[in-house]
Amino acid sequence: MRRTLTLVFVLGGFALQAISYFFLAAPLGAQVNEAFSNPRVPFAALLFVLGVMAVFLAAVVYELLPERYGE
Amino acid sequence: MATRASVERLPYGIGRWSAGWVAVTGLSLAVLALGVFAFARQLIEGEVVTGLRNIGTMGGATWGLYVAFIVYFGGVSFAGITIAAMIRLLNLKHLRPISRMALVLAVISIILAALSVLIDLGQPFRALINLPLYGRPMSPFFGTFSVVISGYLFAGLVYLYLDGRRDAAICAERSEGVRQTFYRLWAAGYRGTPAERERHQRATFWLAIAILPLLVIATSTLGFVFGLQVGRPGWFGALQAPGFVILAGVSGVGHIIVLAAILRRVLGAEDQLNPHVFQWLGNLLMILTATYLYFWAAEWVTTSYAGHHHEVALSNALLTGEYAWLFWLSVGSLLVPFLLLARQFVTGQYRLGVMVVSGVLVNVAAIGKRILIVIPSQTHGTLLPYGTGSYSPTWVEYSVVLGLLALGALLLTLFMRVFPIVEIPQYAEGG
Amino acid sequence: MPRYGMVVDLDRCTGCRACMQACKVENNTPRGSFFMHVFRFETGEYPNTRISFMPRPCMHCDNAPCVKVCPVGARYKRADGLVATDFDRCIGCRYCEVACPYGVNYFNWKSPNKNYYLNWEDPELIQITKGGRVPYSNPDLENRYGKEQRRIAGGGHLKGVMEKCTFCVQRVEKGLQPACVNTCPTFALRFGDLDDPNSDVSLLLRQKQHFRLLEEVGTKPRVFYTGSQHPPGGDVRQIEEVQGRV
Repeated sequence: MRRTLTLVFVLGGFALQAISYFFLAAPLGAQVNEAFSNPRVPFAALLFVLGVMAVFLAAVVYELLPERYGE
Repeated sequence: MATRASVERLPYGIGRWSAGWVAVTGLSLAVLALGVFAFARQLIEGEVVTGLRNIGTMGGATWGLYVAFIVYFGGVSFAGITIAAMIRLLNLKHLRPISRMALVLAVISIILAALSVLIDLGQPFRALINLPLYGRPMSPFFGTFSVVISGYLFAGLVYLYLDGRRDAAICAERSEGVRQTFYRLWAAGYRGTPAERERHQRATFWLAIAILPLLVIATSTLGFVFGLQVGRPGWFGALQAPGFVILAGVSGVGHIIVLAAILRRVLGAEDQLNPHVFQWLGNLLMILTATYLYFWAAEWVTTSYAGHHHEVALSNALLTGEYAWLFWLSVGSLLVPFLLLARQFVTGQYRLGVMVVSGVLVNVAAIGKRILIVIPSQTHGTLLPYGTGSYSPTWVEYSVVLGLLALGALLLTLFMRVFPIVEIPQYAEGG
Repeated sequence: MPRYGMVVDLDRCTGCRACMQACKVENNTPRGSFFMHVFRFETGEYPNTRISFMPRPCMHCDNAPCVKVCPVGARYKRADGLVATDFDRCIGCRYCEVACPYGVNYFNWKSPNKNYYLNWEDPELIQITKGGRVPYSNPDLENRYGKEQRRIAGGGHLKGVMEKCTFCVQRVEKGLQPACVNTCPTFALRFGDLDDPNSDVSLLLRQKQHFRLLEEVGTKPRVFYTGSQHPPGGDVRQIEEVQGRV
């Protein structure tokens, strides 16, 4: 349980970062029209930051999860 | 209500008033107030109260002291966390006493960097909404506010929190009332069982491993803010990113040496902050300083051998022109420490005074170099023939920067008032 | 979708700077902001000097460094080629300004109302003018433009945001020419659709040799220069510099 949850946070965090960076935020590449200035999803940058935080929170989860939830 | 007796048992002066602490905190508050007043002027009148002006027809520099300090604070923060992570990864047990102060330095520094960014913006309150809402990954700035600021800050806070649980538990045993509740919250039920210790070791190990690439990417992003700008001679180039990483290390290690020396005296922690610790830091600083001098030399050789006329003009402004005083001051402030530290290394005779002086000088050099990177490429680096510009910071900019430094000092003294800045030694645990 | 561009004939430019004036009036730019700027260059040593002029609007680059670096997408490239600045979104980081190789960006260092060559918020002035408004303000500058409907026209909107030449988007969208092009007494400035083979600009580019400024940095500007001059090199210096400091 502890390990699974930690892994969920780490992988989920990286996944959130990758998805928000490449697919939700403003497109990368040659800036040829106004679509390149807007995020595809609002607050995509905030989601990216939350992904970064999730990866580090994994360490807190790993250490702080009460004993009774097992390894 | 904490009794005199129980407060007495908290280590490193926590919970106790001392004349020195009051003096430093009082002075910091006063300078901070000045900085806040200056910033208020800026918010009301606009950035015209600074010395910043448009590049080109206005003959100014649009990025100045504020941006130089964004990079400087970001760099110090990078070094702080990297040192803490390296201590954990390489299991440098004798260096453990500086681990926490390095982390605290890192967290405080990145807060100052974040504030510097907001202070420099023309519309800081708008930015608080627009950056998370519209942030574009294509812009190197995206890396600055997302990875650098939130990444470092959060990573540093998590590391500091987990690392401090044991000491929080010890302090909880020795205190009462509100103070005890605070320590208990931090400790979150830490009991020091073998299973817990092993989990802690493993968690911090992987945390350190995760932090290092993040930090290199983040500091490189800061370098890319400048290095990717084709329109600015002196900025455009591949060396900016690695150069930023190395100079960050130099300034951070310098800071830690000075901080550790001060705390050694103030807290009476001669045992933990022993000569062995300083020797290691001194040697690290020597290597990093040498590396940065090498980067600087490589830059100069490339420019003078085959630089475009804009780069040559810029180089002349730095070596013999308007910026020569700051250039040679910065080079000297790196060269002298390097020579002093190298002599120490070769003769094997380490002196604390030498290392503290080196730590201060390399930070003078780091601030100087940040200024030399940011400003001359704007005043003396226009690709169209606008003529040379000029930039002089005003009292507003100096006050704000001093205010930020005062805030840093204030945060440090406040932290030291409530939590051990040096890890409580093993043998003190029972007592 | 038109592909807008500008052609500047350097042999026709007399340095009268009427284009700078027209731009100021049309776009309400405050003191020190010169969306259109005309260089006066000198080469050689007196008495063997040569004077030349070079108008410099924003280049509206196809590979614009300013567009790439804007952290919030306030500076963006429209499909018709205009590089615009949304003053509702701009956070005033000035990254576009340091990124621009041509120096065309102008930041509002103070409240524009205090920066139109007089302090229009001064109580004495308000008494005299009975209102304290800048004498002429172009109402078109507050509107939203383009398919994206963003506020991008003109200058002097708000303290703490960045502005620059917009190829007079408020005029172009009405089918008019930019103010500078419209005013030039010698027809040195031309504007039009580069994709239309019969437009002024296409004809000129087909007939005459042309260059663009700072081609080597790869920005792909949309402003072309024809005439017998070369791009300004290291031996050229600016004289009669515009005293634009606020």
